Amino acid sequence: MMNKITESDMILPVTKIQRFCTHDGPGIRTVVFLKGCPLRCVWCHNPETQLIKYEFFWNENLCIGCRMCMSVCEHNVHIEKDKQHIIERSRCVGCRKCAEICPSGAIENCSQDKSINEIMSVVISDKVFYGKDGGITVSGGEPTVHGEKLITLLGQAKRQGINTVLETCGYCDPNIISSLAELVDLFLWDIKDGCDERHMENTGVSNKRIIDNLKLADSLGVRTIMRCILIRTVNDDIKNFETIAKIYRELSHCEGVEIIPYHTFGCSKNITLGREENAHREWMPMQSDISHAVKMLRGMGVKIHKH
Amino acid sequence: MKVKFRTASKTPRPIRLSEGIRKWAYDSLNGKYGDQTMLTPCVVLDDIEDFHLLDNFDKYDISIRRIAEQAPIRICDEELISGAATFGNAISHVIPATYNGKIWSYSISHLTIDYEKMLKVGINGYEKEIDGRLTDDTLTEYQVRFLLSLKSTIESMKIWHRRYLEATKESKPEVYDLLLRVPFEPARTFHEAVQAIWFEFSFVRLCGNWPGIGRIDYLLGSYLKADLKEGRITLGRARDILASLFIKGCEWIRNESLGNPGSGDAQHYQNIVLAGIDSEGIEVTNEVTYLVLDIVEELPISDFPISIRVNHKSSERLLRRAAMVIRHGGGVVAMYNEELVIHAMMNDGYPEDEARMFANDGCWEVQIPGKTDFCYMPFDGMQILNQVLGICEGQQISDFQSFEELFEAYSNRLNSDLEGLYNAVTRGYEFKDGKWVCRDLGGLPSVVSLFEQGCIENAMPYNELGPKYTVRSPHIGGAPDVANSLCAIDSIVFRDKLIGFKDLMELLHNDWDGNEPLRQYVRNKIIYYGNDDDIADSYMTRVVDTFAESVRSIAATHADCPIKYIPGISTFGRQIEWLDSRMATAFGYRKGDILSGNGSPTPGTDFSGATAIIKSYCKANLELISCGAALDIKIFPETLAGENGIQSLKALMKAVVSLGGFFVQIDVVDADTLLEAQKHPDDYRSLSVRVSGWNARFVTLSDDWQRMIIERTTQSI
Repeated sequence: MMNKITESDMILPVTKIQRFCTHDGPGIRTVVFLKGCPLRCVWCHNPETQLIKYEFFWNENLCIGCRMCMSVCEHNVHIEKDKQHIIERSRCVGCRKCAEICPSGAIENCSQDKSINEIMSVVISDKVFYGKDGGITVSGGEPTVHGEKLITLLGQAKRQGINTVLETCGYCDPNIISSLAELVDLFLWDIKDGCDERHMENTGVSNKRIIDNLKLADSLGVRTIMRCILIRTVNDDIKNFETIAKIYRELSHCEGVEIIPYHTFGCSKNITLGREENAHREWMPMQSDISHAVKMLRGMGVKIHKH
Repeated sequence: MKVKFRTASKTPRPIRLSEGIRKWAYDSLNGKYGDQTMLTPCVVLDDIEDFHLLDNFDKYDISIRRIAEQAPIRICDEELISGAATFGNAISHVIPATYNGKIWSYSISHLTIDYEKMLKVGINGYEKEIDGRLTDDTLTEYQVRFLLSLKSTIESMKIWHRRYLEATKESKPEVYDLLLRVPFEPARTFHEAVQAIWFEFSFVRLCGNWPGIGRIDYLLGSYLKADLKEGRITLGRARDILASLFIKGCEWIRNESLGNPGSGDAQHYQNIVLAGIDSEGIEVTNEVTYLVLDIVEELPISDFPISIRVNHKSSERLLRRAAMVIRHGGGVVAMYNEELVIHAMMNDGYPEDEARMFANDGCWEVQIPGKTDFCYMPFDGMQILNQVLGICEGQQISDFQSFEELFEAYSNRLNSDLEGLYNAVTRGYEFKDGKWVCRDLGGLPSVVSLFEQGCIENAMPYNELGPKYTVRSPHIGGAPDVANSLCAIDSIVFRDKLIGFKDLMELLHNDWDGNEPLRQYVRNKIIYYGNDDDIADSYMTRVVDTFAESVRSIAATHADCPIKYIPGISTFGRQIEWLDSRMATAFGYRKGDILSGNGSPTPGTDFSGATAIIKSYCKANLELISCGAALDIKIFPETLAGENGIQSLKALMKAVVSLGGFFVQIDVVDADTLLEAQKHPDDYRSLSVRVSGWNARFVTLSDDWQRMIIERTTQSI
C-alpha cells in the first residue's frame, strides 16, 4: 500500500497568488496560478507557467551590477564575460540563491514551492471579501497537471466553505474529471480553436480530448463558461465559431462563451525567461473584430458571457 | 449636440434629467458661473468713515449688510430654487469686503452648519429666540453686542431675500412663492425645504464661509415622503429640484482652475453625508438618499464630496446604488463605517444620540453637525522620527542599542510635541467666574454663529466657546511612513544586523548615497504596511496606538477643560508640501520621493491588491482615532467592469465594516490618470493593471504597452 502523504506535505509550484481578482469567476476572488502546462500555445501570455521545473526571470533593466548573484551561484549560471552579465540557464539546478540575494529584483523566482496549507492561508485571508459569490480560482498553466494535489487543494477550499473555480485548458486525463466535478463550482474552460488542424499546429495538441472532456464534465452536471481566445487572422473564421457554437449547443450546463481578445501583454516575459519574444501585434483583434465575433456567435444561438 | 459627461467606467452615465438641466450642469461644471462670479470680487467699504477704528462686530455687521445689498443677483433659466454666492473673493475663503483695497477679515470653514432647526422654526424663530435671550439681565455687554450682531445678520439676510423676491416675481413665480415662505417661516413641502436649505447655505457662502451641508437625506426625507404620499410631487420632479441644488453648488468652479474636471475633489468643503441611523438608531436611508445618488451618477459633480454611512444592516439597494456611482470614478462616493465611528465618538465623551448624528467638516473629519467649533492641527510624523534619528540638517546622528530604545525615544518626542500643541490650543482659554471663556474676545463671525447650536443659548460666537462642542484635533501625517521606517530599521539593523544603526543614519543623512544594494534590498526584500502582512502591519498598529494614547492621556490630565482634544490621521495632500523638509527614509525612499497620503500605504510599497490594503488598514485600532483616519484606494476601471464590478465594490464596503475600518475612499482611475502615471511614474508606482490572466504594475510597462492599456480603458468590449 502506498504511503499516504499528508496534505500539508503536498507542495505545488505557484507562480503567483493574486488577490482581489474580479475577472476570473464571480465576486472577489483569489487566483492561484500553478506552474506546468501540457500545451505550448504560440500566443501564450503566461510563458513562465509552461514548464513545471524551476525558472527565474532576468530583468536586465533592474540590474544594478552588484554581482551578488555571481558570488552565490555554485553552478556558474551567472558569469561575467567582457564586463557583460551572461546567463547560462542550462546549468541552473534551481537552488534559487541568485533570486534570493538579488537586492533589486532583477532576478526573480518565477515560482515558489508552496504547501497547500500555505496556499490556503492566503486564500482564507480574504474570506471576508468573498461573500456568497467570491472565492478561489485555480489557474495556470494548466492546474490539472497536478492531479491529486489539485484535488486536495480544491477539497480544502470546499471544506472551508469557499467557492471554487477552475480555469482549465481541458487537456487532462478524463479519469480526473469526475473528482473535479464534485469539487469545482464553475469551470472556465478554454476552447482555443475549433479547427483541430490549427489547434495541433498552434498548441501542440489535438482539441479532441479537450472537447470530449468538456462534454464529459457537462454530463456530470458541472457549470461551465467557455473561454475562447480571439486571434486576428489565426482563428477568427467561421470554422472556429461554428465549432464553438456546436459545442455550446450540445452542453446542458454551459453558462455562456466569453471572448478573450488576444493581446501581447505577457509576451515580453519570454525575454526575461531567456526565450524568443512571441508578440504578434497583427494578431490583436480590433473592436470591430470583437463585435463581429460576438454577432456571429449570437447568431448561432450562443449566449455571450460578459464578466 | 447633446451633452455628454465623462466617466472612468465603460458603462456610460445614465440619463434621467432633461437635456436643459444637463446643459446647465455642463456649463456650471465647466466654470461658466465661477468665471462670472470672479467679475465681482467684493463690496468696497472705503466710504465708511473711520471703518478701521470700529470694533469687529460693527465692521462685521456693516460688511454683511453691504454684501446683502450689493451682491449680484443670479437667476439661471433652469433653476428651481434661487440664491447664489456671487462674490469672487468668497471663493478665496475670506469675507468679500475690502477697506482701502484690503480684505479685512478671514472667514470660516471645516464645519457643517445646522439646517434642522431652520427648517422647523424658520429664521423668524431664531429672531424670537434671540429677543428672548436679550431679556436675560445676567448677560455681559459683550454678549448683548454679539446677540445684536446676530440680529443684524438676520436683517441682512432679509435684505438679500427681498432682492430675490423682486428678481423672481416675474421670471420665476414658482420660486417666488417658495421664497414668500422660506427660509423665514418653517418649510412645509420638499420643494420649500430644499429652497430653505439652499438659501441658508448660499447666504453663508456668499459671506465667504465654506460650510458643509451634512445629512441631506435626514433633513429632507420626511418632507419628500409626505409630498409623495399626498401626491403633491413625483420622484422625477423631486430629482429635478434636488439637481438644482447640486448644479448651483458648482457655481464656484472656475474654468481656469479646471485641471482635472469632474475629479470629485473637496474644493469648497460642501460635504454631504448620506444614509446611516438617526439619533434614535433608526435607519435614515430614504428616497432622497437615492435621488442624490441618481444625480451624482448622472452628473460628474466635483464640488460635493459625498460619503455614505455603511453599517451591518445597510440595504443591498443602498450598497448597490453607491457602487454604481463609485465605478464612474472621481472618488465619489466614499464610505464611513458607521458603527465604528459612533463608538469612537462615544469613547470621546459624546452622548450616544449625538454621536449617531455625526457628519463631517469638509474633508472627512467627523463632527456633530451644527454644534461644533472644529479645527485640526496637522503635523508631520516623519519629521518627529527624523529628529529622533538625528538625521535632519545640522543634527548630531543619534545612536540606539535596541528597537525598543528607539521606539521609546520616538514616542517621548511625539508626546512632548502633542503636549506643546495642546498647550498652544488651550492657552487662549481660561476658567473665570465659574466658567470657561476665551481670553481674547474678538467678536467675529456672526453669520456662522447664527447656524451653530449653542451660540444663541450661550450668547457667545463661534470660535469663542459659543457652540455646544469645541474640538481641536491633532492630525498625524506620514503615519504609514513612520511605521515602514521603523519596520525597515528593526529588520536590517536590530534583527538581521546588515548594517549598524549609525551607519544607516549616515546613509539616510546622505540620501542613500553609497550603498545602492542595501537601498534596493530594503525596497524589494522587506514587506511593508499595506500587504496584509501581520509583522509589517504591527508597526503601523503600534504607531497608531501610541499616537492615540498620547493624545488621550494629555486630554485626560485636563479633564475639566471643555475643549475636546482628539486624534486624527491625515495628510490631505501635505505629503507634497512636506517634501522639502523630509529626509531619505529607511525603507529606501530618497529625499523628494512622495510618501504616504492619509492612512494609505506609502506609494509603491503595496503590491497585494485592494483587499490586502483594506485588511492592513483595518488592523490598526481605528476606534481610537476618533477624528478619523482615511484610506484612499485606487482601482483600475477594468477591475470594476460590469455586474461583477458592482458586486465586488459591495463586498469591499461590507468588508470595511466587518473589519473595523473608519473611512475609505475608492477612486477608480481613468485614462487621464493613466496618462499622468505615464508622465510621473514615481507617483503611481503601485497602480496595477489587470487583463485576463496577467497582472502588472502600470509604470513597469513599456511605453507602447502603456499606450495600449490606455486605449483599452477608453474602448468597450
